[in-house]
Amino acid sequence: MDHEKQLKLQAFLDEELSEAEASEVASWLAKDQEATLLLGELRNTRQALARFEAGVRLPESREFYWSKIAREIERLEPAAARPEPARVSWLAAWRKFLIPAGAVAALLIAFLVTIGPPANPAGRVEAESAYSDPGVFTYHDYDNHATLVWLSYPAENDFPESEPNDKVQ
Amino acid sequence: MGAFEELVARHRDKIYARAFSMMRNEEEAIDLSQEAWVKGWQRLAQFQGESSFGTWMTRIVINLCLDQLRKQKRHRTESIEAMDEETGGVERHMPPITINPTAGLERNELRQRIDKALGQLSYEHRTVLVLHEFEEMEYKEIAKTMNCSIGTVMSRLFYARRKMAALLNDLRKTA
Repeated sequence: MDHEKQLKLQAFLDEELSEAEASEVASWLAKDQEATLLLGELRNTRQALARFEAGVRLPESREFYWSKIAREIERLEPAAARPEPARVSWLAAWRKFLIPAGAVAALLIAFLVTIGPPANPAGRVEAESAYSDPGVFTYHDYDNHATLVWLSYPAENDFPESEPNDKVQ
Repeated sequence: MGAFEELVARHRDKIYARAFSMMRNEEEAIDLSQEAWVKGWQRLAQFQGESSFGTWMTRIVINLCLDQLRKQKRHRTESIEAMDEETGGVERHMPPITINPTAGLERNELRQRIDKALGQLSYEHRTVLVLHEFEEMEYKEIAKTMNCSIGTVMSRLFYARRKMAALLNDLRKTA
């Protein structure tokens, strides 16, 4: 069998022939014992290889393997490897302003309540501000059974300064 | 980078396996697969999703392995084996092997034998087999990847298969 025929036989196996060429090879195969045997050999080799690759595993741990990749990326693109700064919401951006403003407003109310003329001379009122949280101010009017609590918003711990770096992608 | 690390974890075995099939050397395969991941990171914006991410990464590692193998070949002296790359050597005239040399083998044993036989092929023959049988590339695609003609791909694939059959048959006889 010449080399051209051998390659045609292989192309038949690999389904690389046109329909006309494939039927030509099929009819030729029916008459040629050697070609049939050669086709069988090529098919066996292909089938054996098809079962080979599954099961090849990287012989390194995930962390160790990744660490070299990460180092190289960082070396080549330090800016790309660095985590982006955490996005700060508009409310969080105003936080620095809101908390002191709330505290000042609370103190002003307390001051006005303390020095202003009492609506009822016999009335007992009390204003207090929590030392631990300057954003909270409480006003009690015992005679009228009224309590007013002034809360500055947002609360102190609602907005972390930024997200932890390992959560930023 | 966290998301990319996850992608590496998901596809690392496949990328390493491809590098190992081509290079036949564990250390080189690890290095080249890691280099492929770095390249993948750098070219991430070029990934259009036309193929799966795994396939895209596999193409990168294949190209790196081919570059490396070509460099190594430049340093290699011409040998009879190298001359046989295109002509096919003795396999060309070998009568067909009628018994399936891998019939009845357990998966592990089969893997060991194929591994050994693949290791004895020249890099051109091994690469064409890897690209066709493992990557399921068509002749045209292999020719483009290996920068050669379709005729050369067909010849190399034919001789690679015949040599594999002969080597597997020898291993069956000696087992």
